[in-house]
Amino acid sequence: MSSTMIELEKVTKIYGQGEKRVVALADVSLKIQKGEIFGIIGLSGAGKSTLIRCINKLEEPQSGIIRLAGQEITTLKGKELRAARRKIGMIFQHFNLLSSRTVYRNIAFPLEIARVKPKEREERVNALMELVGLTEKRNAYPSELSGGQKQRVGIARALANNPEVLLCDEATSALDPETTKSILRLLQDVNRRFGLTIVLITHQMEVIKEICDTVAVIDEGRIVEQGPVVDLFARPRSVAARRFMQGVLHTEIPPEIQERVFADPSPDRRGKTVRISFIGEVAGRPIISSMIRQYHVDVNILYANLDFIKNNPFGSIIVEVTGGDANVEAALDFLKTQGLKLEVLAECGA
Amino acid sequence: MWSLILDATIETVYMVGVALVLSALFGIPLGILLVITGPRHIKPMPFLHRVLSVVINVGRSLPFIILLVAIIPFTRWLVGTSIGTTGAIVPLTVSAIPFMARVVESALLEVDWGVIEAAQAMGATTGQIIAKVLIPEAVPGLVLGLTMVAVSLISYSAMAGAVGGGGLGDLAIRYGYQRFRGDIMFITVLILVVMVQSLQSLGGWLAARLNHR
Repeated sequence: MSSTMIELEKVTKIYGQGEKRVVALADVSLKIQKGEIFGIIGLSGAGKSTLIRCINKLEEPQSGIIRLAGQEITTLKGKELRAARRKIGMIFQHFNLLSSRTVYRNIAFPLEIARVKPKEREERVNALMELVGLTEKRNAYPSELSGGQKQRVGIARALANNPEVLLCDEATSALDPETTKSILRLLQDVNRRFGLTIVLITHQMEVIKEICDTVAVIDEGRIVEQGPVVDLFARPRSVAARRFMQGVLHTEIPPEIQERVFADPSPDRRGKTVRISFIGEVAGRPIISSMIRQYHVDVNILYANLDFIKNNPFGSIIVEVTGGDANVEAALDFLKTQGLKLEVLAECGA
Repeated sequence: MWSLILDATIETVYMVGVALVLSALFGIPLGILLVITGPRHIKPMPFLHRVLSVVINVGRSLPFIILLVAIIPFTRWLVGTSIGTTGAIVPLTVSAIPFMARVVESALLEVDWGVIEAAQAMGATTGQIIAKVLIPEAVPGLVLGLTMVAVSLISYSAMAGAVGGGGLGDLAIRYGYQRFRGDIMFITVLILVVMVQSLQSLGGWLAARLNHR
């Protein structure tokens, strides 16, 4: 689990020249571990597509080194490049299936390319159709399939030559949320079953949250942040990361709450509006209720949100804690000692 | 009269058929080469691409009737005669090759680039991409293109009558026009119309059948 599968070292890719010059990747360095699901998130035009396509040399960077399982990809050519590519599966946003071939023959395609013997090919294709649950669609053409089914064919095809790495180029962006979930589950399944390293690029935080172990945030051709997904959710450092986070976590303060101002509360009813963020096992402890009992404060829950990142509970609640300044201060200190992240949003009173 | 018409029909079918097969034999590979050597395709070769493109355009810009007489020495050298159906097949083929190449080009360019890229990502060789992706994916377009070439070959074959090429066109000119045989004129025209119509319908039907998009 700890050996490096893919390594990018100062990879730079520039399109065009002169005035039309666009820096797609600027000095990008990344390390992707064997067996992990590595997500790269960015807006369209951020360079993520270029990045993933450099890994199998569909795009050639101007400078930098890319290594896959210790082998340098960037300098490979011809026969060696083709051999290396057979060990890298790839799936696409628009599936890119051969319209002239049935499901069966689409999955057989990479095996034909690799000149696998017909008998072995047949066994392999049958096993793959079984894996992705499309045995009954064996003789259907892609045009007769739904988006999710097409992507399943894409996945089966990508896995045909037993790759070590699977590259997913916006693989769920053309699918509805329900289908996206089922495709992500399938990816997670193959990751666990075969120890396959998966690199995926997306603009959907949901995808990162659902299956990724590690994430890199790319913005204008640069990696602005990378690390475990849980860390990113708990402490997004870059502007780009926060922007993505808002969509899924509602970390911005609802306006109704910001405007909740009270006229002249009596001193013993004064308090604060606080956002409490938590992650991991703290979510399982009755901290709020201990606080109420120990510090004689009142708590009014204004907003709460709980989510899971790869089975870690994660969330935030916004509460009004009232009961006089001293009590409130003590109560909030208590929360901090419990490992919660606090943010005072406003003074309030009841 | 009927035997004249039957002979002429057979001659036309023979000229068009042979010219179609020969022009496909040269034109299809030429079209493929033209496509894959293009910029941002699977085997970019700018110089060869330019040369091919220019040569094809020159071939396409010659009116058939001019080409027919202009290449008489070549025809004679190649098949020993410049008259008769055999003599007509040479210019027919020569004029259909560049047309065929362009038709193939446009059919192949219709193939979704993403699919080609997927094959590249799998480690396919150029030959494998051509044989397993480009051509099979372009089959419906190729069938329609071939139909188009066949139809214009029929019309060109009529012109070949001018050099004593035989066939329906020849018959229509020599009997229908020069000997005022309205009935022969009418029947040859009718046969030509039926030929073109059925060819087009057949091509359309076949292309639709082969299309799984």
